[in-house]
Amino acid sequence: MLKMTHLSKVYRTEVVETYALRDFNINVNEGEFVAVTGPSGSGKTTFLTIAGLLETFTGGQYHLDGVEVSNLNDNERSRIRNEKIGFIFQAFNLIPDLNVFDNVEVPLRYRGMKAPERKERIMNALDRVGLASRAKHYPAELSGGQQQRVAIARALAGSPRLLLADEPTGNLDTQMARGVMELLEEIHREGATIVMVTHDPELAARAQRNVHIIDGQVVDLAEDPRFHHAVHQARANSPA
Amino acid sequence: MMQIKPILAALKRHKAGTILIALQIALTLAIVCNALFIIHQRLDRVARPTGLDESNLMAISTRYVGMDDKDTGAAIRGDLAALRQLPGVEDVVSINSYPLRGGGWSTGVRVNVDDKKPKGHTTLYFSDEHTLATFGTRLVAGRNFQADEIGEADPKSVGDPAVVIISKALADKLYPDGTALGKPIYIGDTKKPSTVVGIVERLQVPWNGNWSDTFFENAIIEPFRLTGSFTNYLIRSKPGQLDALLKAAPAALYKVNRMRVIPSDRGVRTFAQVRERAYRADRGMAILMGVVCLVLLAITAAGIVGLTSFWVGQRRKQIGVRRALGATQHDILSYFLTENLLIGVGGVVVGAVLAIGMNLWLVTQFEMARLSVLYVLVGVVALLLLGQGAVLAPALRASRVSPVEATRSV
Repeated sequence: MLKMTHLSKVYRTEVVETYALRDFNINVNEGEFVAVTGPSGSGKTTFLTIAGLLETFTGGQYHLDGVEVSNLNDNERSRIRNEKIGFIFQAFNLIPDLNVFDNVEVPLRYRGMKAPERKERIMNALDRVGLASRAKHYPAELSGGQQQRVAIARALAGSPRLLLADEPTGNLDTQMARGVMELLEEIHREGATIVMVTHDPELAARAQRNVHIIDGQVVDLAEDPRFHHAVHQARANSPA
Repeated sequence: MMQIKPILAALKRHKAGTILIALQIALTLAIVCNALFIIHQRLDRVARPTGLDESNLMAISTRYVGMDDKDTGAAIRGDLAALRQLPGVEDVVSINSYPLRGGGWSTGVRVNVDDKKPKGHTTLYFSDEHTLATFGTRLVAGRNFQADEIGEADPKSVGDPAVVIISKALADKLYPDGTALGKPIYIGDTKKPSTVVGIVERLQVPWNGNWSDTFFENAIIEPFRLTGSFTNYLIRSKPGQLDALLKAAPAALYKVNRMRVIPSDRGVRTFAQVRERAYRADRGMAILMGVVCLVLLAITAAGIVGLTSFWVGQRRKQIGVRRALGATQHDILSYFLTENLLIGVGGVVVGAVLAIGMNLWLVTQFEMARLSVLYVLVGVVALLLLGQGAVLAPALRASRVSPVEATRSV
């Protein structure tokens, strides 16, 4: 589903080159739930933005759903983002001027979908996250957990091949975070491929597989024993 | 177009900015439409032909000093004789007024002696058989005055002329079936008819204000040379001789009689100067209105640029989110263009009503003409295009916001 090979991302200024990702290799299979972990500044978000075609990379190869994306133009990248990728952001990123229904509708409109199909998909997605009754509410009228559920509904409505979640519970309290996480797990059980960036070892433990990034490279968990230990502990404490 | 509903929904949540910019567009449209209409009217007025050979005409205003009124008739004849002998002179008349001079005589005209109301309004020019040659105006029917038809008259007691020459516009007004030649007309309150012996193609009145717009080409030439100490001489030069006559003509008048005053400022003028002075206010008004229009349009464009730039800055993250969710650069560009178009349409609808309302008020208060719908339509299109032009730069800036902006914290 997602395969990066020797990928690099370099930020250049006049005096210095900074490698955000270096010789980065990852392979996520269809239907996998992968947690990407690592300390702040390690390159997790850069990986996610490149994986989601939000920005370009400097070198290497990236195949998404079998398509090499490095030579795609902006319109083609937009189309792939719209059709194949669902984003869940830490800050929810709902559009405050639009109500819940209209927020979920945004990516479907860009796909040029007809109104009846849009409506059906939106209501199905809102139903799935338990917020069908809040369709006419504005984001400011919802709790953080509800807003993130709307964001998940927005990501799901387009039936994406890949869900990319950037610290999806980072702005939520424990109870709300648990609810969102359970929702992601449910979505995964239904067959979705999910790549989730997180700081939280407990959340990472609930994924099928953990990928740890340090200094822009994927490392074996054994090379970072502290994190390995934290994940191990979290798995042991997990109610499942 | 697919974005209209969510754009309207978003605009509802930004009412203040939306209403303010729409009102600005509305006011601009209302003012610009009416201002352009006034400009057009003024320019039309300035472009109206007088019916005279303007490029070869000059006018001298003179007043005899210490001369008894009864002696002025002979003095004027002497002046005319002296002026006609000057080299380069085509012809000369003494005349009470002339087109664009600014002051003159006007009265009503009837076609039947028993008519209670005049059928037309006209100006009166008093002069002799040299008038048509001096004006350079074309006779389209009938004949010129004959020398034996010319009389001299005191301005305070001018009698009723037996014959008159009238302008075609007046002829058509009095006798719409085109039969004015040879017909009687009654000038003012008189019971004595004057027979139309000639019709000239065009002859404008001395005034150029709004009040004379309804009869600006209605003129009667009566065959009287007015006496009195104040006289206007209208001199038509041979082609290319006007400059020389500007000095030679007053010199010749002083040579005939030094006991006269020719004012230094407006005593001797070419017709170009007469025209320039007559239309100075109209030109000034047109320029002022033009500047007001430009300033208003610039302020409106700046307002649109400012508001859109502010909104682009404010929604940078939102634009990034839209891009992340699949919006192309073109989608973002069209979002802001459509948003501006919707505000603009709201503005021009209100503006069109305001423009017509403002014009109706001007019509009742200042006797202005009715605003043509064409001005409103052109104004609407121009304002919408201005809006789209103004919003283009910030909209392009918005379209270049990277989708990665969605992942950045504020």
